[in-house]
Amino acid sequence: MTNPLIQIDDEIREMTDEEYAQYEATIANADSMPSAE
Amino acid sequence: MATPPDFTTGAILTAAQMNAVGLWLVKSQTIGTGVASVTVTDAFSADYDNYRIVVSGGVSSVSAGALNLTLGAAATGYYRAGAFMSYSGGSITGFNNSNATSWNGIFEASTNIIDGVVDLINPFAAKNTVISSHTSAVRTDGYSLFQGGYLADTTSYTALTITASAGNITGGTIRVYGYRN
Repeated sequence: MTNPLIQIDDEIREMTDEEYAQYEATIANADSMPSAE
Repeated sequence: MATPPDFTTGAILTAAQMNAVGLWLVKSQTIGTGVASVTVTDAFSADYDNYRIVVSGGVSSVSAGALNLTLGAAATGYYRAGAFMSYSGGSITGFNNSNATSWNGIFEASTNIIDGVVDLINPFAAKNTVISSHTSAVRTDGYSLFQGGYLADTTSYTALTITASAGNITGGTIRVYGYRN
């Protein structure tokens, strides 16, 4: 399984495991949004 | 010179006239294909205290997604409160986060468009960063959403990141403008 893509300015690549962990933490509070999937 | 200025073809602009320009495009970043997050570096500097961020165009891989906003490496301390009302009516609904891992739902993303407008006060200064934002869900069952909040640290930031809370995003542009001090 591959990690999601991260873009930093014009560079696009797969997230490292550390970046993926940060990504997961960043969206952890997303459940309070109205009707977001 | 009048306000707003009435420039004419071939006119030589003075420093005073150029220095009166109130909003300056600092950076424009095109969003790539199928990315889950986009970081814009060197967005904030000592040149401006306050900034406007506009995200427009592009699409999400999901019909009803939201994009979160973070600054630099800050992974906690995001406070926000807001309210939304659906286009079909009903009551105004409030929501909030305290000491969260991001400012949630700052931009709406759908298969139609990614959109949102944000004002940030003092992201570069060693002070609390204050946010106010508005976004509209562009779909028939959508809503309009206003938020305000702050980041509970006094770190100086130069970069911002938008992160899709579901799916990924393709296309569109992130534009960062500085408000002249």
